[in-house]
Amino acid sequence: MIRYILQRIAGMIVVMFIVVTIVFVIVRVTPGDPAAVMLGPDATPQDIAELRTRLGLDKSIFVQYFLYVAQLLKGDLGNSIFLNMPVSAALMERAEPTFFLTVFSLSIACVIALPIGIYAAYRRGSFIDQASTLLAMLAASIPSFWLGLILMQVFAVRQQWFPVSGYGGPDAAFLDRMYHLTLPAVALGLVSSALILRFTRASMLDVLGDDYIRTARAKGVVERRVVLKHALKNALIPILTVVGLTAAVLISGAVVTETVFGLPGVGNLVVSAVLRRDYPVIQGALLVIAGLYVLINFAIDMLYLLVDPRVRY
Amino acid sequence: MKLKLASLAAALLFASPGYLSAQEKGGVINVATIGEPPTLDPMTSTADLVGIVTQHMFETLYTFDKKWTVTPLLAEALPEIGADGKTMTIKLRQGIKFHDGTDMDSADVVASLNRWVKLASRGKQAGNFIASITATDPSTVTIALKHPYAPLASLLAFNNSAAIIIPSEKQADTMAEFVGTGPYMLKERKADQYIQLVRYDGYTARSEASDGYGGARHAYLDEIRFVPVPDANTRVESAVSGQYDYVDALPVESFDKLKGAAATQPIVLKPFGYPVFVFNTAEGSAKNVEVRKAIRQALSMEDMLAAAFGSTDFYGLEGNIYPASFSWSTDAGVEGNYNVANPEGAKAAAAAAGYKGEPVRILTSRQYEFHYKMAQVAAEYLKLAGFNVDLQVVDWATLTQRRAEKGLWDIYITHSPFLPEPALIGSLSTTAPGWWDTPERKAAVDAFTAEVDPAKRVALWADVQKVIYGDVPFIKIGNFNAVGSISNKLQGVDPAPWPYFWNASIKK
Repeated sequence: MIRYILQRIAGMIVVMFIVVTIVFVIVRVTPGDPAAVMLGPDATPQDIAELRTRLGLDKSIFVQYFLYVAQLLKGDLGNSIFLNMPVSAALMERAEPTFFLTVFSLSIACVIALPIGIYAAYRRGSFIDQASTLLAMLAASIPSFWLGLILMQVFAVRQQWFPVSGYGGPDAAFLDRMYHLTLPAVALGLVSSALILRFTRASMLDVLGDDYIRTARAKGVVERRVVLKHALKNALIPILTVVGLTAAVLISGAVVTETVFGLPGVGNLVVSAVLRRDYPVIQGALLVIAGLYVLINFAIDMLYLLVDPRVRY
Repeated sequence: MKLKLASLAAALLFASPGYLSAQEKGGVINVATIGEPPTLDPMTSTADLVGIVTQHMFETLYTFDKKWTVTPLLAEALPEIGADGKTMTIKLRQGIKFHDGTDMDSADVVASLNRWVKLASRGKQAGNFIASITATDPSTVTIALKHPYAPLASLLAFNNSAAIIIPSEKQADTMAEFVGTGPYMLKERKADQYIQLVRYDGYTARSEASDGYGGARHAYLDEIRFVPVPDANTRVESAVSGQYDYVDALPVESFDKLKGAAATQPIVLKPFGYPVFVFNTAEGSAKNVEVRKAIRQALSMEDMLAAAFGSTDFYGLEGNIYPASFSWSTDAGVEGNYNVANPEGAKAAAAAAGYKGEPVRILTSRQYEFHYKMAQVAAEYLKLAGFNVDLQVVDWATLTQRRAEKGLWDIYITHSPFLPEPALIGSLSTTAPGWWDTPERKAAVDAFTAEVDPAKRVALWADVQKVIYGDVPFIKIGNFNAVGSISNKLQGVDPAPWPYFWNASIKK
């Protein structure tokens, strides 16, 4: 077990090193110049060259790479060229809206998907089952930003029940911030619910036909207990996997949805950084996002141990 | 006496923007902008967005009035120019305090102007002409020039790459403290979320009536919050729903939607600026001036503007670089060279110029959708004229990098607001991408920048425009308007290329 965990950690370090290298190379070979963007349209070539020197961008790509890796080994993600602050601080600032958006939208997705998925599997072939299949296909086919635009049009512009964009002003209370997150969370939650619903239904169908379920029923166990305890517990592994991966996608920044709703989250930060060619932020953000994926995958594997006693490493 | 007082009161009332009926202090406004400014130090960036936000915090010695005439701001009066045109004496206003409570004096101004000459693009441009900047006494600064340089006052008045005045002890190259003299001061900046400015109670407004960026600046609002909303569609929907009190840079297509909104109304700046096709005069297929003329001959400015802006409500067909509302407006060189739309004639002209099918690389971006639409129309006209068009659509950051490389492009598309001083037009410089450098340019531009008499300068600008039409370093496509939106509850905001919110207040 400990050996397995150590192996996984070593593998994670290798993955992260590869990610650092690939991201660094892609960012540097992409055309565009942060100095030109920063100085504005009327800056002279000399001004741009001077700023490039100040930023260390005039050094060869190899020198820049080794300096960057040395910096990372000291635990320093560098400083944002545009925000005039450490990348880690910029990410921390953006983590809050992204975290709450993830929790909010994932809660909406689970509240919708789990009961419907379980019921659809239990009443296979019923009207509810067929309707849920149709709705899940529909939700899976809709891009979340498109759904976001529709929700924005109906509930923010016409009804004016919610704000169109933003995360509240400087003095906004927690509930006000959640209020600002409602429409993007519903958009993301509805779309994410499709996948979770399909996995829940399929997984429940698998276990509901198993012998031990028939045995439980034969023993006279109450039907609710058969479904929610005996069947669901065993169906949880694939459901957990898909919920975990959905969380990973959302926490790494729902890039387009955050941009459409003007949310200052991680996704928005990455988009802005790419447009501005803020190299340290792009590198730092992608590194952290990759790290999150690796950690969440690791955590899911560990969770298997808890929910399935047969799993042993 | 009573009559005189009543007349004075009436004059003051009507001289103020938006007929300031019972403007009262108080209130917070949210202003949606196109994004996050790359810096809050307006010396180090020429980006319009930097100027829009920071002009509330920092001030310059001069600024512009409604007619785009230079007018004093931190200076007491317009500068005194020496008889030989080589000295500029600037008297400073007394009793001006920085946001940190310290007094502004000539030492601060000298230090700030030296920083400007060292760091700012426009400052470096002026620095080539400046011999020294000295404090004559605590309230007087003298700038000695190597040669007469007429645009200096305009450069000192501009709000981006701006000659802002900051305390002498806060002159670090990378600005860490944002201490100015403006009517608003920075409270908090949360990048990509908001920039929060609060009223500076120690602000001393000028005594003259408000006039454009000049005259009295009254800080009625308690707070101004600039909120970046980069997505254009989201800005439109935010405007319609009334979420923001002012929304900048809206697509012209949204005009009708804004007109129908209950909480807000469109605000149009007519005209705002002009799209430009800049030629690479140093290398490539457009190096030959006759090829550049053939390209211009092929193009229909009318079709390009129609594709880009839809309705004549939002664009104007005009070859004069400055529109009639500016004293610089002249039709010198325009006749027969603008909106010709003759691809057949252009084909013959290009062949006569020795054009043999070399690629014409047009660099454009979809960051500004109207650039892209114009590029598409231009490409079709140029194909009809037999040009081998290579339309390269890249993002803005890539474009700004590629245009600096002589070997990578032949035409790039950009736009500019109407700058109050023609010498500020970037393409007139030999180092600007395009690298226009001919004896005709040098003679016309040098004469224009050296002349200090305003009337003579207007005539000399006509000579420069004529040379522009002769050498074709760039093509002006036409005029276009800017659309924004303003909440029905906000008053005292005039349409401006760099919108400002001093003198704005909430209707009670």
